Amino acid sequence: MVHGIVPPYLLARIAELDDERFARAARAARRALQYDEPRRAARLNFSLDASDSLVIELADGPNRTIFDARRSETLPGVIVRKENAEPTGDPAADEAYDGLGATFALYSEVYDRNSIDGVGLPLDATVHYGVDYDNAFWDGDRMVFGDGDGEIFGRFTASLSVIGHELAHGVTQYTAALEYEGQSGALNESVSDVFGALVEQYSLEQNVEKASWLIGAGLFTDAVEGEALRSLKAPGTAYNDDVLGTDPQPAHMRDYVETDDDNGGVHINSGIPNHAFYLVAAALGGNAWERAGLVWYDTVLSPLAPRSTFAQFAEATVRAAATRYGEASTEVDAVRAGWAGVGVEAAGANLDGGRTA
Amino acid sequence: MADARPDTFSISVVRTGGFAGLRREWRVRSSDAPDVDWPALVEACPWDTVAPPSPVPDRFVWRIEADGARRRRRATLPDERLTGSWRELVDQVKSAAKP
Repeated sequence: MVHGIVPPYLLARIAELDDERFARAARAARRALQYDEPRRAARLNFSLDASDSLVIELADGPNRTIFDARRSETLPGVIVRKENAEPTGDPAADEAYDGLGATFALYSEVYDRNSIDGVGLPLDATVHYGVDYDNAFWDGDRMVFGDGDGEIFGRFTASLSVIGHELAHGVTQYTAALEYEGQSGALNESVSDVFGALVEQYSLEQNVEKASWLIGAGLFTDAVEGEALRSLKAPGTAYNDDVLGTDPQPAHMRDYVETDDDNGGVHINSGIPNHAFYLVAAALGGNAWERAGLVWYDTVLSPLAPRSTFAQFAEATVRAAATRYGEASTEVDAVRAGWAGVGVEAAGANLDGGRTA
Repeated sequence: MADARPDTFSISVVRTGGFAGLRREWRVRSSDAPDVDWPALVEACPWDTVAPPSPVPDRFVWRIEADGARRRRRATLPDERLTGSWRELVDQVKSAAKP
């Protein structure tokens, strides 16, 4: 099978084809063009069916634009690579482009979601933001990546899980809209870590056992004692360094950190729901993006309160698993056990047995 | 009679949040860098007009405190507001606090 990514102008041309061999593709292209704004892109899949006839299918495709802030803090910067363009040779720009593509692929191919907003939102990213800027963030419209200071951090595009994490903030913004403060903020962070990890696992074709479950592997320079920023498998173990200290993430509710910093410790307490997801995925086995990922994806799309607590989110995951797989299913049992394993009691859910007070 | 000498300061800058969630802190006493006009830098910042932060995912949060002999000031601001006089103050603290 050949994959081609079709820019809007080609889509328009396919839409105008007056040849019955391509009637289906033309109809699909016309539909895509009417359906959306002109910046929409699509993907064509070519294959041969059993009778050797050419089958052309139109699928969603990403529409990426990479900008370069040229070490300023002014957004968006200048365009350095558009959809379908050749690599620039600048690792940051090309990693961002490829990372956006890998993230789009997970949502499109596994969750049938067309981009961040579900209707083909163009994916924009800015690289080389600021001088020695030790961060990456989602500003509501685009992903922004710093180059790092070179002493502790290298460039933030170097880890696919970071790119997946930032785009997931966009998905959350368009869906659950979890408030970025306290427990709901830690859930917002955790959803980004979960789907950031899943983007990487899906891209590398790693199952639950093979996956690293690390967020931000490869961001630290060699001077730092640590392999990554966070671990879903073992929160609190990602780094242990003379200068940076020890990874402060808890893996259990009894270690929840109350703080005014970091919007109420959103990057710290996310360790608790992160580990719950890992436990669910590990119990189910196989590919984490399939059953565990589907339950979490359904949860983010369910009617969650913006200020949801861990317990309310846990309840929503149990409901999502029951809706998809049935009340008496391995999946529901795994989800319940996962939350019990981090000391979170799903609010309003009937947690049967196996849980200690 | 009022003290005519310029106020002396102990200033701390704490950065939290960010994708990494790492806490960084810089502290300086005005006597550590006597060539810097600390009173002017501190006075230039709009301490009383700081809006509550509206969190942007993964952006830094800055907590800035300037304890003078006569007055204590404190502000929390999101990364996107760290511009102008705030940026000048923070940059001076970071460079003076370097070992």
